[in-house]
Amino acid sequence: MTTASLSSELRDLYTEETARIQQQFAATGDGRSAVQQRTRLVETITRRLWQEIVSPDEHAPTGFTLAALGGFGRSWLFPHSDVDILFLHAGKDSDARFQDHIRRFSQEMWDLRMKVSPATRTLAECDRFDASNVEFTISLLDCRYLAGDRELFERLHNRVIPKLVMREAQPLVQSLADVTRSRHAKYGNTVFHLEPNVKDGPGGLRDYNVAGWLSLISAMDKLRDWPDPKTLLPFSTRKQFDSALDFLMSVRCFLHLRQGRDDNLLLWESQDEAAARKIGCPDTEVIDAAGWMRVYFGQARSVHRVCTQLLEEIPAAWSSLYRQFQQWRSRLSNADFSVVDGLVYLQQPHALHDPEMLLRMFHFIAMHGLRLSTTTEYRIEQVLPSLAATPPRGAELWLYLGEILTQPHAADALRAMHALKLLTLLLPELKLIDALVVRDFYHRFTVDEHSFVAIESLHRLQPSQSEWDQRYSQLLSELERPELLYLALLLHDVGKGTPSTHHVQASLEIAQSSLARLDLDPSERETVLFLIGSHLEISATLRRDIFDPATIRVFAEKMETHERLKMLTLLTYADIKAVNPDALTPWKAENVFQLYIAAFNYLNHSVDERLEADSDDSHLAQIRMLVPTAGKKLKSFLEGLPKRYLAAYSATDVLAHAEMAGKLGQDPIQVQLERGRHWFELTLVTNDRPFLFATLAGVLAAWGMNIVKANAFSNQAAVVVDTFYFTDRFRTLELNLQEWERFKRSIVGVLMGETDLDRMLRDRLRSEKPGIAKVKVDTKIDFDDTCSARSTLVQVIAQDRPGLLHRISSSLSQEKCNIEIALIDTEGQMAIDVFYLTSHGEKLQPEHQQRIRSALLQSLESD
Amino acid sequence: MTKVEAIIQTSKLEAVKDALHEAGVEGMTVLEVRGHGRQKGHTEFYRGREYTVDLIPKIKLEMILADALVEKVVQAIVTAARTGKIGDGKIFLSKIDEAIRIRNDERGEGAL
Repeated sequence: MTTASLSSELRDLYTEETARIQQQFAATGDGRSAVQQRTRLVETITRRLWQEIVSPDEHAPTGFTLAALGGFGRSWLFPHSDVDILFLHAGKDSDARFQDHIRRFSQEMWDLRMKVSPATRTLAECDRFDASNVEFTISLLDCRYLAGDRELFERLHNRVIPKLVMREAQPLVQSLADVTRSRHAKYGNTVFHLEPNVKDGPGGLRDYNVAGWLSLISAMDKLRDWPDPKTLLPFSTRKQFDSALDFLMSVRCFLHLRQGRDDNLLLWESQDEAAARKIGCPDTEVIDAAGWMRVYFGQARSVHRVCTQLLEEIPAAWSSLYRQFQQWRSRLSNADFSVVDGLVYLQQPHALHDPEMLLRMFHFIAMHGLRLSTTTEYRIEQVLPSLAATPPRGAELWLYLGEILTQPHAADALRAMHALKLLTLLLPELKLIDALVVRDFYHRFTVDEHSFVAIESLHRLQPSQSEWDQRYSQLLSELERPELLYLALLLHDVGKGTPSTHHVQASLEIAQSSLARLDLDPSERETVLFLIGSHLEISATLRRDIFDPATIRVFAEKMETHERLKMLTLLTYADIKAVNPDALTPWKAENVFQLYIAAFNYLNHSVDERLEADSDDSHLAQIRMLVPTAGKKLKSFLEGLPKRYLAAYSATDVLAHAEMAGKLGQDPIQVQLERGRHWFELTLVTNDRPFLFATLAGVLAAWGMNIVKANAFSNQAAVVVDTFYFTDRFRTLELNLQEWERFKRSIVGVLMGETDLDRMLRDRLRSEKPGIAKVKVDTKIDFDDTCSARSTLVQVIAQDRPGLLHRISSSLSQEKCNIEIALIDTEGQMAIDVFYLTSHGEKLQPEHQQRIRSALLQSLESD
Repeated sequence: MTKVEAIIQTSKLEAVKDALHEAGVEGMTVLEVRGHGRQKGHTEFYRGREYTVDLIPKIKLEMILADALVEKVVQAIVTAARTGKIGDGKIFLSKIDEAIRIRNDERGEGAL
């Protein structure tokens, strides 16, 4: 037969058979059968060409062999996959002898419109490991005989490859792991893309191959020979893996045929069609595209899980550096969990029946960034049904969940909980967004993954070196209750899982039941709901003119407090950043921060607007609703307090303060001491008197307490509510409960003039050596007469040190100033104290301001 | 053909986009930019530090139009973006020699 007539015959065969395979796939949707049939078809063609071009005897000539590599070697030829072949010859002399055959053979294949990737090597070349071309050595792992010298092929397969793998196992595995990790990183390390790549994306077919190669190299290294492929993975994993492979093969075949090229992107239009045709899941009920994508994510998640577990386990066995790292991680083992090769195992598997142990395990993962071992995952899956009958809830669940959310690897822990369906068991509302695809042109991930990425992006702020990340990181470090922000991020988009067109409103409604399940107290609940309800507020404001004071006023008044403003700024940052890697442009990051600063300053400069107790403020309405009978007493307490007072305290706190104020007739100094999550909280309600704020600050300094924040407010009747938030530097209160009473008595004693504060302070300062400041902060004093109608604002920035607030406030009192409001804050070693001052009910005159400045400077510099 | 470049306030993007669609503009490029003209910047104090905003965020729109449409589009932008204050922005017009549609090599106004 002439080459021309053979070409024509093979072209007809290829065209007809390809059409038949396509038709069969269209009818059955069976991807595995389609790739096998195409593999057989290409095999037939390559053998015919071999007989025509190289040798009429399919198994000749000696010293020259044709082998299938890569996907062709695995018998996985997708409709538009490359055809990888190897021309193997015995030595350099034969290279020239077969050169023309190789050229003609490849030409014929290309003329048939096959994308052939030919490689020509000797046995010695195959035996050489080239770190810059790991792909070739990996492709040898799937090599398969096609035609030519079988003995030569068997030398490659049975001797060269096993020896090569045993000799180069470590660099081979390391390179494979590195390539895989960087491929995963390119796809954001997540399966949950709205338009995933079914070949190269995490959980795609490439991950399936990587899992197979890692297991194969590991087994070959142990057996010193080719292992039985059926023994490579545990039975349970293999079954799950096979099902995933069938599904992914069908999807990739579908995409190739639909697009008419090697295109593996599962775009929205393809998803619609795949769902309508039930590609990969013919036995399921009729499903929409979102439902079909959930099936896809389920399969991809199982492939990705096994692949990443093997990526932790196998490289560790060879690399000494990795070994050291893993050994360092194994030191994290404790009485409950052991860490081996970065995977977590249970010390006492039966203990897992205790839900607390289960939550502690995810807290452990969130803290250290580890993965669960397959065994541990299996054990968790076993206990889930019994846990489902009585899932943990209430304060206990919130205690653990809050702790998990604030740990540096919280997102990893949440993903692991979600993959095992534990997260939706604890918070069933999240089922609404489980692997949910919501189509828009901006989001890259499914809704659940978007929430995890948002949480992750806040945790990544701290180690980041970028200018913007550091600014936002500073805000994060200043939050009193970061766990509330993280919880809001977890729930902020749950409404997208409902048919509602207003997802913010829907999220708010759904989040109510999550918060009730977690038994959050009313103020916590209010904060989380505020964040969810306002999560688009900053983006909306950025569409206004943020240099217009009216825009800032409206926005800042919605925020009410600095804390809420900080939380919402961070939530917005994380929410935008989690949309896709390019969504948070420096332009946007700067605009968000610009808005934050403007609103922050507005809140600082407008805090002394007075409250009218009869107004229809929403906080007032809530308080009146809580205690309808409090009416008159409450009104007289609230009258004249600054508006900021209501924003700074919860309704319950306000009622407690009103009650304390009501008891002043019996006991003129009401003191309340509580221990919060991060610091102690001292509230004092009493009638105003000179030096009150300074005296309180002094008592705290004398007890060695470090004042972190403070608020001071007074009403029309000169009743003062002062709150100090402090840390207990010497653990006096923390370790000695009996000291609480002595502490409170000492405050009363000093205020009543029965105890000498100066002596207390001298004793304290004598026992303390002055510390060396790590960062030098220059003292800065600024007055502002314009920001308030009735007070002068003074902002003092100074090096933080024990007794600082006492010094400042004493100087102000000595200068006959009345402290209307004090906003005390600390940022690292910098104290930022803002006071609203009056003198005889008026703003301060310029000469008075000058005297105060001198007094403050003298006091602060006299060390 | 004319290239229209318009620098406008960020808050006016939606209004200008609507006006351009109304005027018959089918495609445009929107860029997030920073800069200043006579408006200059301003300084905020935050936590005792100066925070200077010398480059103000703006939106830049770019579009290539058939000459017949240019005046109508300019009027649409001016009407939608104007507040009467400093900082409303500017419009620049320049001549374009040729436009080529990559898909089919179509040239001239037909390629727009």
